[in-house]
Amino acid sequence: MNDEKGSKFSRRSFLKGLGSSAIGTAAISTGLVKTDPAEAYTPETSGNAPAKKALNLKVNGKLYKVDVEHRNTLAEVLRDQVGLTGTKIGCDRGECGACTVIIDGRNMYSCSQLAVWMEGKEILTIEGLAKGDKLDPLQEAFIEHDGPQCGFCTSGQIMSGKALLMKNPKPNETQARRGLSGNLCRCGNYNREVAAVLAVAAKAR
Amino acid sequence: MAQAPKEFSVVGKRIPRIDAHERVTGQAQYTGDIQLPGMLYARVLRSPHPHAKIVGIDTSKAEKLPGVKAIVHHENAKVPWSSGGLTHQRFIFNNPVRYVGDAVAAVAATDRHIAEDALKLIDVKYEKIPHVLDANEALKPDAPKITPNGNLSVGKGSASAPIEESWGDVDKGFSEADRVFEDTYITKHVNNAQMERRVSVAKWDAGKLTVFASTQGVSNARTDIAKDFALPLSKVRIVCKYMGGGFGNKNQAQDYDYMAAVLAKVAGQPVKLEFTREDDYIGMHGRWSSEQRYKIGVKKDGTITAVTLNAVTNMGAYRKQSGNLSGTDFYNIPNFKKVILPVHTNTVVAANYRAPSYPQSVFGFASFLDQIAHEMDINPVDMFMRNRIQKYKSKTPFTSNFLEQCISEGSKRIGWQEKWHKAGATGGEKKHGIGMALGGYPFRPGLGAATIRLNPDGTAHVLVGVSDIGTGAKSTMAIIAAEALGISLTQIQLTNGDTDVTPYSVGESGSRTTSFTGLAVIAAAEDVRRQIFNRAAGQMKVKAEELDLRDGEVFVKADPSQKLPLERVVRSAGEMIGRATTNPAFKDVEGKSFSAHFAEVEVDGITGHVKISRYVAAHDSGTIINRLPAESQIKGGVTQGIGMAFTEELIIDKVTGIPINPNYRDAKVPTHLEVPEVEVIFIEQMDPFGPFGGKVVGEPPITAAVATIANAIFNATGKRVKELPITPDKILQARQV
Repeated sequence: MNDEKGSKFSRRSFLKGLGSSAIGTAAISTGLVKTDPAEAYTPETSGNAPAKKALNLKVNGKLYKVDVEHRNTLAEVLRDQVGLTGTKIGCDRGECGACTVIIDGRNMYSCSQLAVWMEGKEILTIEGLAKGDKLDPLQEAFIEHDGPQCGFCTSGQIMSGKALLMKNPKPNETQARRGLSGNLCRCGNYNREVAAVLAVAAKAR
Repeated sequence: MAQAPKEFSVVGKRIPRIDAHERVTGQAQYTGDIQLPGMLYARVLRSPHPHAKIVGIDTSKAEKLPGVKAIVHHENAKVPWSSGGLTHQRFIFNNPVRYVGDAVAAVAATDRHIAEDALKLIDVKYEKIPHVLDANEALKPDAPKITPNGNLSVGKGSASAPIEESWGDVDKGFSEADRVFEDTYITKHVNNAQMERRVSVAKWDAGKLTVFASTQGVSNARTDIAKDFALPLSKVRIVCKYMGGGFGNKNQAQDYDYMAAVLAKVAGQPVKLEFTREDDYIGMHGRWSSEQRYKIGVKKDGTITAVTLNAVTNMGAYRKQSGNLSGTDFYNIPNFKKVILPVHTNTVVAANYRAPSYPQSVFGFASFLDQIAHEMDINPVDMFMRNRIQKYKSKTPFTSNFLEQCISEGSKRIGWQEKWHKAGATGGEKKHGIGMALGGYPFRPGLGAATIRLNPDGTAHVLVGVSDIGTGAKSTMAIIAAEALGISLTQIQLTNGDTDVTPYSVGESGSRTTSFTGLAVIAAAEDVRRQIFNRAAGQMKVKAEELDLRDGEVFVKADPSQKLPLERVVRSAGEMIGRATTNPAFKDVEGKSFSAHFAEVEVDGITGHVKISRYVAAHDSGTIINRLPAESQIKGGVTQGIGMAFTEELIIDKVTGIPINPNYRDAKVPTHLEVPEVEVIFIEQMDPFGPFGGKVVGEPPITAAVATIANAIFNATGKRVKELPITPDKILQARQV
């Protein structure tokens, strides 16, 4: 990667294509990092070279073998290693709920759970709700009640709604709002998300 | 001007989004979900100082961190970012840095944590420059200059100039007034705070740049990047299939797209550049704050005779967009003059956020008008009805205007006449209040393009450039295509958001998609229908003009029993392609969607806590193409207005210039617990210009929401809070009027 000649298009030809310093064009000179492994610098900030830990992650009933660093969150590992990108990361600091998954029956922010804590736990993500082609009733209700606008918070809203319905199949409106209140929706579609949960609750009555 | 509502077969129903299944199953692939082989992760280093010259950048330690592949900064990547600054040139990395959060460097590494670690190892030497944070201070002659032209942002041409607009004769107007009122209203910087953090994935193949962007407009993003990288358009591809919100701050190409592209070029590997949530709050932009000084002259009966607005808007360090204030747009003002000074300060950039120039000054103007009604002993609903706009600038007619019906239907629904009382009239701890305000957003046609391919089995493939940022634009385009073609919605396949495949789209900003691209979809459908009828005419031995198409069957209008399945016509041609580029314009008319909002609140007299007990939003958006997502848009706009009214403000430390609450929790966006059921009324009357009579929907709902709530709080308490956000402490401290 560091060998200019090795790449099809060198930085020099890129520069040529870009022009030099004329206004309205880009100029990029250096920036390529030529790492000499002998000189590798291990900063205090990252501690020693992070050790990887092999982990069995049980997600949606399947076992995944993953190698994780201690600093990797469950949300990261689900998305980057397991390939389940339905779980979104909105803030990565436990505020927005876009990363909500169900762990051992409870809705939790997967950005605030380290992957290394997950050994032996049952993780349910948005991808695990449908049974084959048959959607979960809450997913059906989200379609019918226009639950997603941009859709970025939707997985989290559904997982919190699902966790609530698993505990309490017939929540009232106040309970539904509280159950979803850890999930922000900047499109402001709260009416719809609550309506979807209540529609499923109504069918359980 | 309006036409009676028409019966449609697909338009005007409540139809779930065509991509709802993907959105509820986690299958929808957003930009951040894209993984490419060999992809690196990138992070951005930002300035900790509000104004400083970078005198040195030492990246040697960061370079030695295993896994780091590329580091770019102002010295080695001098890339202009044209759309980042309207008025003075901006680069992706600037020196000097002009606000806390200005990008200084970006690092690509094999892992996002390594990229983050590397940022901490970059040694930047800054030489601090005096800074100014307050817009009024910035206008003083001795204030530190942020641009060579000073701090009053340059207007058109090169001279520093305010935004000015006037008609009539304000002096004459004030002399005709029975009373003249003057007051000042203040709004704060509010971040768009869309759920999807900014992210961009860039790769180069054989000199061609592909950017998987999170953009509201793939076409204009391509134009921007091609221009700034001096590449032909054919060498730039922008893809955005699903998009996690933007509300105006993901228009065009953004600096992170450029940084990802540069890092990918330097490293020779694809790069995913992710913003943190803090990056998103301070590194991009939010709604411009404002200080609005109004002078309003009125007759005894409340009729406005003249208005002047003198305002200062804080644009932050760069001017990306107008800085205008337009809240007076919904009133009949015979004599008007506004002077707005968009000002540079060393703070976070301010630019477009849903209905960019409206909620600030709808809050100011509608609050003030409500106050004047109170002081003149006029019922606010009469004040708003009397002064509602009828003609643009008092002279040009609108394509359609049902603002009157919005006021009458909305006030009837909430029970205004029974529930309204004099401000502060309810006793006890819980005080009831009711308030209203007018809003809307301009509507105009413009450049649109669409392609429709008819498959040999009679199904249709619609190609449009839209991103669908959450509005339901893909569904809207598919519905318009089905209606215009005369086939069912299930027969439509739609491809969006890929500049290599889809035709030009204006970008989902300014609520323009339905009108710009929608009219092009209709024209493309008409183009392919002409081809169908010409071919079928030969097959059926009739004239093309005699034919129509409905439910997938071509038939003779005079004798529908003479018919031919569409697939037989198309199959005989192989396939049929309809295309259209449309660019209609208004002549001697103006377009606008209108709204009147109503709220009831309960204010706790001890704590100052406000609960919205009822909310009614009445909208004239012409024909509603798809009611389900259109209602959701209204509800969402009101919800964002609730945040702006009560809690949201990006607070900048007055000494250091550091934003102290750049995250969801501390900037306080509304949650499930604060938002009431929003009752939506559509005054469905066809507009003569819009596609199937539709006008704009997306931006109007936020415009009136803030003022509506503010006026309801005044009605409850008799206390006028003139500065946003209206927090409990301000309510408790405000003086009884």
